[in-house]
Amino acid sequence: MADIPLVSPQPGIDRLARLRRSLFPTPLSGLVSLAGIALALWIGWALLQWVVVQAVFTGSAEDCRAASGACWAVVTARWRLMFFGLYPYEEHWRSALACFVLVATIVLSCLPVFWTALRIAVLWVASAALFLLLMRGGLFGLSLVGEEKWGGLTLSIFIFAGTALFGMPLAIALALLRRSTLPLVSKLAGGFIDTVRSLPLVTILFTVAVLLPILAPGLSGTKLMRVIFGMAIFFAAYQAEILRSGIQSLPVGQEEAAKALGLGYWQRMRKVILPQAFRRALPPTVSQFAISFKEVSLVIIIGIFDFLASGNAAYGSGEWAFAYVEVYVFMAFVNFIFVFSLSRYGAYLERRMRVGK
Amino acid sequence: MTAAVTIDRLNKYYGTYHALQDVSLTVAEGEKVVICGPSGSGKSTLIRCINRLEEHQSGTIDVLGTVLDDNTAHIDHVRREVGMVFQNFNLFPHMTILENCALAPMLVRKVSRREAEATAMQYLERVRIPEQALKYPGELSGGQQQRVAIARSLCMKPRIMLFDEPTSALDPEMISEVLDVMVGLAQDGMTMICVTHEMGFARQVADKVVFMDHGRILETGTPAQFFGNPQHERTRNFLSQILAH
Repeated sequence: MADIPLVSPQPGIDRLARLRRSLFPTPLSGLVSLAGIALALWIGWALLQWVVVQAVFTGSAEDCRAASGACWAVVTARWRLMFFGLYPYEEHWRSALACFVLVATIVLSCLPVFWTALRIAVLWVASAALFLLLMRGGLFGLSLVGEEKWGGLTLSIFIFAGTALFGMPLAIALALLRRSTLPLVSKLAGGFIDTVRSLPLVTILFTVAVLLPILAPGLSGTKLMRVIFGMAIFFAAYQAEILRSGIQSLPVGQEEAAKALGLGYWQRMRKVILPQAFRRALPPTVSQFAISFKEVSLVIIIGIFDFLASGNAAYGSGEWAFAYVEVYVFMAFVNFIFVFSLSRYGAYLERRMRVGK
Repeated sequence: MTAAVTIDRLNKYYGTYHALQDVSLTVAEGEKVVICGPSGSGKSTLIRCINRLEEHQSGTIDVLGTVLDDNTAHIDHVRREVGMVFQNFNLFPHMTILENCALAPMLVRKVSRREAEATAMQYLERVRIPEQALKYPGELSGGQQQRVAIARSLCMKPRIMLFDEPTSALDPEMISEVLDVMVGLAQDGMTMICVTHEMGFARQVADKVVFMDHGRILETGTPAQFFGNPQHERTRNFLSQILAH
């Protein structure tokens, strides 16, 4: 045994040998492997042809029809509609800036430096104010743009951010209430969570957008605000249970030790229980965020002009009608960027927390 | 000597199970009491009642002049003065050793971070692990974690310390490092109530040994009486079992 080298002298050859062992262990497996590789190459080649080689990146719908590849010209021609919706054309820079403010705020909140109640609150209040100033205007010489004209990617991200911003504190509150030692309180919280979870999101959106103004005409708040509220409640019902599972999974000794040290209820929750519960609930929390991000596209049914609705409009105008595949591929790509970053961030957090930080 | 803890005819039920039956015990300030007994005898339950981790149904517990009842102000007051060390250490795994120790003084005693950390370092030195201050609990051995847990309790400057089987979850070679710290604490005059099976420790530091079985105190005596001349059959059985190996 002693003469087996610990490190192979030629790692390249070693890797080649391992590859051969795994792909061609028997003649039949080898054949299947070859067929699989050929298929993958063929698909890859066809995709490359469609996406890049034969594609049309700029030009008119006529140019697209002449080519056999993808018609990215539709994106070049209509990207402003997809990103900004019906927002006044000459004010698009405001929507772009507002979108940037939101994305930057989301990215900053992901950095551990901002993980104190005060910093995160200041960050979000400031960015919400800046967003509204830019989007809505009416101050400092910016013309007023009503909410009914907001749209596109900016609006989608705004709805998502609002959902998370109001949904997360609500989720924490519901999770803690459901764990209350007072039976009435925990039953009420449990009943609320179960009710919301038993309703489809579409129903909730219809209720807040259409029924609520009829049932309670005096109710304040714009349609957009009510929609964010509805989505936040929906998010909170699920996230509360995710958090509760994180709390339940902690050893009872953690809370007992905190009690024995004299910490009060809120101190125990804030410093000992919730930080650990969030860590344990991180993977499902990331999933819930991803789900909520994609669920924003449901607002299309109550007439809100989000990213998906804007995309539909981008190819829906006669001349580009044939290019719907390219528009959807592009929207899928933008969604992928957001959700993939989210999952990578989740993976980073898990690595970071492995030691206990 | 003034009484630190006075327990009078305490009864505790888990549902219909009668966990503590008319337990009465007085611990004077500066006194060291060791509680022993077979598992399920109620010894852990008894000391957990002293800082209200368990609620009792009848009888009274007076801790340093405060009677424990449903009044949360009383409970908070008692918990501030009573430290506790658990079998499973229960350090907060998401905080460094230093943060574990400084947390309660900052939150509960409203001490500044600087002062809390200085105090923490002082007690970490006392349990002889100041060099681990910036590590996380998961990076320490069981014995080290338990010493940190003791330091963490001491940072609150408690007047009474409760130990709930502090060495039971430790590997044998780590028991003595924890017991040494406890002996040092006893020599400094701390009021201590320890649930433990370490009879050597009981002989060395206890003023009083209490034997419990089936939720009752069967026998109380000085270590000399308790080990030299146990009165009860069950105490003799227990001692022969625990000292046999």
